[in-house]
Amino acid sequence: MDLLTFARGPGLQWAVTIFVIGVLWKLVGVILLRAKPDLSEPRNPSTWKGLRLIITRSWPRKEFLRSTAFTEVLGYTFHIGFLVALLFYLPHILFFEDVFKGVLGVNFQQVFGVQWPYFSGGVINFFGAVTVAALIAVLIHRIVSPVKRLISNFDDYFSWFVTIAPVVTGMLAYGHVGAPYQTLIAVHLLSMELLLVWFPFGKLMHAFTVFLSRGTEGMQFERKGASL
Amino acid sequence: MSAADVNQEHPLELESPRVSVKKPAARYDKQGDVPDAERVKRAMQNFVKDFGRTAAIYMESCIHCGMCADACHFYVTTENPKYTPIWKLEPFKQAYKREYGPFAWLYRTLNLKGKITVERLEEWQELIYDSCTVCGRCSLMCPMGIDIASLVSLARHGMAKSGLVPHELWAVAERAEKEGSPLGATPKVFKDRIEWLADDHEVEIPVDKEKADVMCTMSSIEIMKYPDSIVATARIMNHLGVDWTFRLDGYEATNFGLLSGNAEWQKDMSLKLINAAIACGAKTLVLPECGHAYGALRWSGANMYGKPLPFRVMHIAEFLAENTKSGKLKLKKLGKSVTFHDPCQIARRGGAIEAPRDVLAALGVELREMEPGKGLNWCCGGGGGVVTIHRADPIRYKVFQLKMNQIEETGAELPVTSCANCRQTFDDGQAHFKWDKKMNSLLEMVADNLEGKAA
Amino acid sequence: MPDSMKPRDAGDAHEATLGERLAARGVSRRAFLKFASALASMMALPPSMGLVMAQAMAQAKRPSVLWFPFQECTGCTESITRSHTPTIEGMIFDMISLDYHETLMAAAGHQSEAAREQAMKDNAGKYLLLVDGSVATGLDGAYSTIGGQTNLSWLTEAAKGAAAIIAVGTCASFGGIPKANPNPTGARAVSDVIKDKPIVNIPGCPPIPVVLTGVLAHFLTFGSLPELDALGRPKAFFGDTIHDRCYRRPFYDQGLFAKTFDDEGARNGWCLYELGCKGPVTYNACATVKWNAGTSFPIQSGHGCLGCSEPDFWDKGSFYKALPVGQWGSAATLGGAAAVGVAVGAAAAYAARRRQDKIAKGD
Repeated sequence: MDLLTFARGPGLQWAVTIFVIGVLWKLVGVILLRAKPDLSEPRNPSTWKGLRLIITRSWPRKEFLRSTAFTEVLGYTFHIGFLVALLFYLPHILFFEDVFKGVLGVNFQQVFGVQWPYFSGGVINFFGAVTVAALIAVLIHRIVSPVKRLISNFDDYFSWFVTIAPVVTGMLAYGHVGAPYQTLIAVHLLSMELLLVWFPFGKLMHAFTVFLSRGTEGMQFERKGASL
Repeated sequence: MSAADVNQEHPLELESPRVSVKKPAARYDKQGDVPDAERVKRAMQNFVKDFGRTAAIYMESCIHCGMCADACHFYVTTENPKYTPIWKLEPFKQAYKREYGPFAWLYRTLNLKGKITVERLEEWQELIYDSCTVCGRCSLMCPMGIDIASLVSLARHGMAKSGLVPHELWAVAERAEKEGSPLGATPKVFKDRIEWLADDHEVEIPVDKEKADVMCTMSSIEIMKYPDSIVATARIMNHLGVDWTFRLDGYEATNFGLLSGNAEWQKDMSLKLINAAIACGAKTLVLPECGHAYGALRWSGANMYGKPLPFRVMHIAEFLAENTKSGKLKLKKLGKSVTFHDPCQIARRGGAIEAPRDVLAALGVELREMEPGKGLNWCCGGGGGVVTIHRADPIRYKVFQLKMNQIEETGAELPVTSCANCRQTFDDGQAHFKWDKKMNSLLEMVADNLEGKAA
Repeated sequence: MPDSMKPRDAGDAHEATLGERLAARGVSRRAFLKFASALASMMALPPSMGLVMAQAMAQAKRPSVLWFPFQECTGCTESITRSHTPTIEGMIFDMISLDYHETLMAAAGHQSEAAREQAMKDNAGKYLLLVDGSVATGLDGAYSTIGGQTNLSWLTEAAKGAAAIIAVGTCASFGGIPKANPNPTGARAVSDVIKDKPIVNIPGCPPIPVVLTGVLAHFLTFGSLPELDALGRPKAFFGDTIHDRCYRRPFYDQGLFAKTFDDEGARNGWCLYELGCKGPVTYNACATVKWNAGTSFPIQSGHGCLGCSEPDFWDKGSFYKALPVGQWGSAATLGGAAAVGVAVGAAAAYAARRRQDKIAKGD
């Protein structure tokens, strides 16, 4: 079996399987933990309103704006860049639509009535380049900033690696740089599979847990009328 | 241990601007005679013992962005990265992963998270106690919405169970558990004080009424250091014509069980108040000007009791605000400029942000807000038990400078707060820096400006 | 080398060179030079090599070539013999002495087998062995026999005396359709069976004729095989993907795709990626050499590349599924994984709760 056949076939299947098992393992494992009811008399009866924190904590309060601007801007840049390249590149979309159809049994277009929009390769390449630049800046900041350096561990660096690797390999494959296309696309797929496999075990899980933690803090604080 | 023993072992220092036990000649920051391995095991296990879904969600969500550092007064004033809030939980994060998280089995089987040593925990004692006031600013900074402060409280559970509480904090907590007050304000002392104050100030102070609508409480800091607050409380209650009382079986609102991390003691202390209020059939329990007392009873009391409390729990400022807003409590106009220092546990974490401002409005003062103010106001540096720890004085003074600057910048004539612990931290800082601003009590300010005769 | 090769027709006093044979058939020297130059450029050789090749080939004596058909469909032979008539590549058969080719030879039965054995004997160590079709290896090769002998035994026998082996077509190169799942005959590529001879793979279903011409010309000119890639394919022809050289590539880069075979995009000649074109992962020269004397190739006629020259192309999913599609598993496997994840997560939470209870009791 050549590398591409492995990467497109068994490699992908195993990666997706591990991803699904791991993510649910972690989420269910956390959600089913004890949750004692809070018996105190709420200040604000509709604690659900606290869920707004899921949205509002996406940007810092104005008091924190200055000290966090650098991290926020870089964070936004690479998150947006990564997501655009992931979600609006046609070969990726074809994959997602295929999974969509495989799981739900209907076409994406049939359900949503529109075609999944996409950008041309050149535009995606630009977003990829921006993402790589921002991620490199993020890494440098992590190494240079005393706070970030101190609190960083293997997870931080490895998660960084598995995030930048698919972007870099994707761009190389797009540009046919450095190796035969089949090898490049295989390495691109394998890097994405590495990301999927690592996902449940490291901080990439924040893509899911961010909703839980913001929602939890929001509801608990809203209950007390505490500052949010 | 008898009261005499307690006094010998943890002699108090009541004459200084900040009341605590006397600076120990030799520090004993480890309690009990426990082998190191057992200590570590207890710390790790008891950290997760009181864990639930909420804490686990928080533990899983950190992305190590480091932004919380900029919310923390200890980091901002020192720029020492070890004061990064989430770093204060580092050993406990590993405990969570090994002992409790969904992948705990994997971590243990593969031995992935290094075992924690007792030396590491001793090192972390300073981060968990001396340099965290549990003020919760970091919880508002965290882009993931992690309530870091709540995790520090859980970490203290582990530290307390393993006997790794700083000397003074342990000492006052033990005094509180043994004789009912961390600072020697035993029922007898309290009773004597009340009698003396009632005589001296010609004010009626009911004690141990069998039935009363309102049960008032005090903090030991007020009883020992700011007795005027007792008088002020009585004046206001009497002025309003409230059916109220103090109870000797439940008057002390501070909870050093909570601050030290001793969950059992925390429960004991809360239940005393709850049972006393139930005994006199109180409809309202009024908490004194004390920050953590509010968090302990208002938000944790029912959970300690095991069912909803059959009475309202109010901070004195909330009680005052309710009465000024209803028009029952009329106050003389003060006509001065004032800035209000929000006690973290009452405002930011407690939710009573507007109540003191309503009272100030009734006092007719010009309120000059600090920047940042209200829910993001800087902590005075003395909360969470930090003010009791002599070892923490140098760093506490550092963070207090932030506070002084903030207050200076408002240009207000009077700084006011509604927490006796903040107040003593200010008094101590004022003495240390020979500052010309004295912190005032909102409660006493109200008592001094009562207008007319209420019904 | 061809000089040292024993002439096929021992009766001839003078064995004609390729040049003489071409001249006899009315092909001018100029025309032949043009052909050689074209071949050289196609094989990415320096322009001066065209002349060298022409001279060398003109002087060359014809090597003996045996063409063995195994599990095949004769499509490869069709492609090579038919497609270029009357182009000059057709003269490939003038360059060589084709001593055995079942389909083309006049002889049959015992006569043909005798010719094969004779050629192997006469040219031992020097003949070229061409194979089309895969080798059945199941049941010791019994799935495919000629004259009672298995293909497998023919191949191992003939390989011993061969100077080199050229696997013509995807089946001989990689196993092809016979090797596709479930492969009942145990079909294998030539290179799976023979390990000790130089082998050139010219995959394609069918292969492009000029590739065979080029390899033979190289062999005649330099006495050696051309440079090969990791899969044994001549780099000169298999160095780029179809996608790299496709005239529709600009549409891919602009994100202009045909969504169905009869939509606006299809009529406008946009990229067929979404319709399952395997061009991006297929190495071959179709997009440059094209077919039918350079007339067209599948993509130009509006159909995506099947990837027929790639290993296991038959087992790589539907021809009409876009490349990123169809290999991630199924709803069932994902559902199974989800069930496992939920179960393990619940077990972990239960274990954590028990742990807390134990800690609480231990106090």
